[in-house]
Amino acid sequence: MAVLLDDGLVTLNRAVGVLRRRNVPIEGLALHPSGTVGVSRLTFVLKADAATADRVAQQLHKMIGVRSVMLLPSEDSTTEARP
Amino acid sequence: MSEMLSGADILCRSLEAAGVQVIFGYPGGAIMPFYHALPDHPRLRHILVRHEQAAAHAADGYARASGRVGVCVATSGPGATNLVTGLAAAHMDSSPVVAITGQVSRPMIGRDAFQETDVIGITLPITKHSYLVQDAAELADVVAEAIAVAREGRPGPVVIDVPKDVQNQKAEWKASHRLRDPRPGGRGQSLTPRASPGPMEDGIRQAAKLIKGAERPLLMIGHGVILAEAHAEVRALAEKTGIPVITTLLGISAFPDGHPLHLGMPGMHGEVYVNRAIQHADVIIGIGLRFDDRVTGNTASFARQARIVHIDLDRAEIGKNVPVAVGIVGDARDVTRRLLAAVEPRRCDRWLEHIRGFTRPRPASFRGELSPEAILGAIYDVSGEACTIVSDVGQHQMWVAKLFPYHRPNTHITSGGLGAMGFAVPAALGVHLARPGDTVWAISGDGGFQMNMAEIATMVQEGLAVKMAVFNNGYLGMVRQWQQFFHEKRYSCTPIWSPDYVKLAEAYGIPGYRVKDAAELADTVGRANAQAGPVLVEFLIEQEANVYPMIPPGGSLSEPIEAAPAGAAGD
Repeated sequence: MAVLLDDGLVTLNRAVGVLRRRNVPIEGLALHPSGTVGVSRLTFVLKADAATADRVAQQLHKMIGVRSVMLLPSEDSTTEARP
Repeated sequence: MSEMLSGADILCRSLEAAGVQVIFGYPGGAIMPFYHALPDHPRLRHILVRHEQAAAHAADGYARASGRVGVCVATSGPGATNLVTGLAAAHMDSSPVVAITGQVSRPMIGRDAFQETDVIGITLPITKHSYLVQDAAELADVVAEAIAVAREGRPGPVVIDVPKDVQNQKAEWKASHRLRDPRPGGRGQSLTPRASPGPMEDGIRQAAKLIKGAERPLLMIGHGVILAEAHAEVRALAEKTGIPVITTLLGISAFPDGHPLHLGMPGMHGEVYVNRAIQHADVIIGIGLRFDDRVTGNTASFARQARIVHIDLDRAEIGKNVPVAVGIVGDARDVTRRLLAAVEPRRCDRWLEHIRGFTRPRPASFRGELSPEAILGAIYDVSGEACTIVSDVGQHQMWVAKLFPYHRPNTHITSGGLGAMGFAVPAALGVHLARPGDTVWAISGDGGFQMNMAEIATMVQEGLAVKMAVFNNGYLGMVRQWQQFFHEKRYSCTPIWSPDYVKLAEAYGIPGYRVKDAAELADTVGRANAQAGPVLVEFLIEQEANVYPMIPPGGSLSEPIEAAPAGAAGD
């Protein structure tokens, strides 16, 4: 799941808190500049069924400071190339 | 010429500019510059509570009764942590509250300074948004934005944490031009996502089609109808289609009691016929409710025959608790108006007849004559239409919800989602300030009343004429009831001693009454209601009465526990 959100510690804290609050474990987490000034890209790796992932996305989507939420199912995502 | 003001003065001016008239608060070290500035802003009336929890509940009560934002203020550390219960209650029940907290000075943040707590961290999951103000120049915009965020979309609490040195910092005063009109449909910049009209029209068409084809349709309405002031539209929809209406705990008073289409409250303590109607329904139109577990019981067995149309302002609520056939995201009033235009007139006479067939005479579950029904009837008789009831949490809350006749919208105020005991007395303070023309009754049990009865002093000091009723059964009654049903009648730690409430009232200098039997009821309630200032009335009710019927927690709506019929052996 990729989340574009406004820069700021409180927004970041709140976004990560949504997953803890809804009891969805985080397997991976990364924060990067998005390329737009003032906006960061937060990427979560979650192990969740589609309904749970959608519920989390809806909760993130309504957060003030969140600009977009993208669900990136694992089958469509980049995986490590086999040697 | 630019005007330089302290952060504290900017804070006060910004609140005035936003139309704030009342603030509930308690001073302390880190908020002292604000309190220093406050006397220069006489348009802001400050109500000094006796505990910050009461400030938050009072702001919540004020917000629910007025539709405006309720503001509470506390210092850092313990002041801020004491707000937490009130903010959680406001969050669960979608109430627009802004909490302003003092914080230690910026250089001290993170150093575990005296009375430093991370109030933003503590309140993150129970607030809609929060601000740590880093510069006095931001304050005007932060206050304007916080008030807009609290109100717009699905309302909720917002925290503004202001370090003490920011309150003292000088900055140029510039009124904020942000977010002037944040109401739904207003021309302000929206911070929360809005529904797009395209899918909404599809949803309306599908909903209208479901209503047309339904044999056993129901309307279930919640707090969203009150928040959006959609009462007239909902009533028109019900009357055009003949669909019976169920009101959730927070939806009570959104549809007039006594209306032939009104069924009542569903769920854990809903009447049997209401829950049976849900279990037999083939279409349910839910407006502004979230199908919480106290409404649904076990969701796997909830309304299994029904296709559900869910209308809610918060997209995240659609399908969260129950599977939905049609989800419509939007303001309850706007969507109901569109749905009203799209539906064809119809009637549901056979279905109503069917539901009436589920009704059974209620067995008397009360010994003696001083029943909750009699008490609430006496209050209704003397207070009439211009009355708002604020209830606490527990057995009396269910009686107040089910037995008082509400004819005017938004005249029943209670802590539904959080279920915070101690809510009624401080919330009623706020309700009274929002509705000075109303008689406000705060009805509590003996447990909840003792949690926040210190606020009687606030009422006396501020001249707030709240009528307080205590249903005294000597128990934490709802917990005792659960112990009776589910814990082998092991009444562990539920008997609760009370002070002499008449003497307590006397100590606070207000009239106090005790009602022991029904013969005294009408006269005493009448005298209490006629008092100009705050009053306290204690009702000595049956000790081990239960709230019937009851769906066990997690149980099916089809399997209620009902009162033993009259004449059967007692408990």
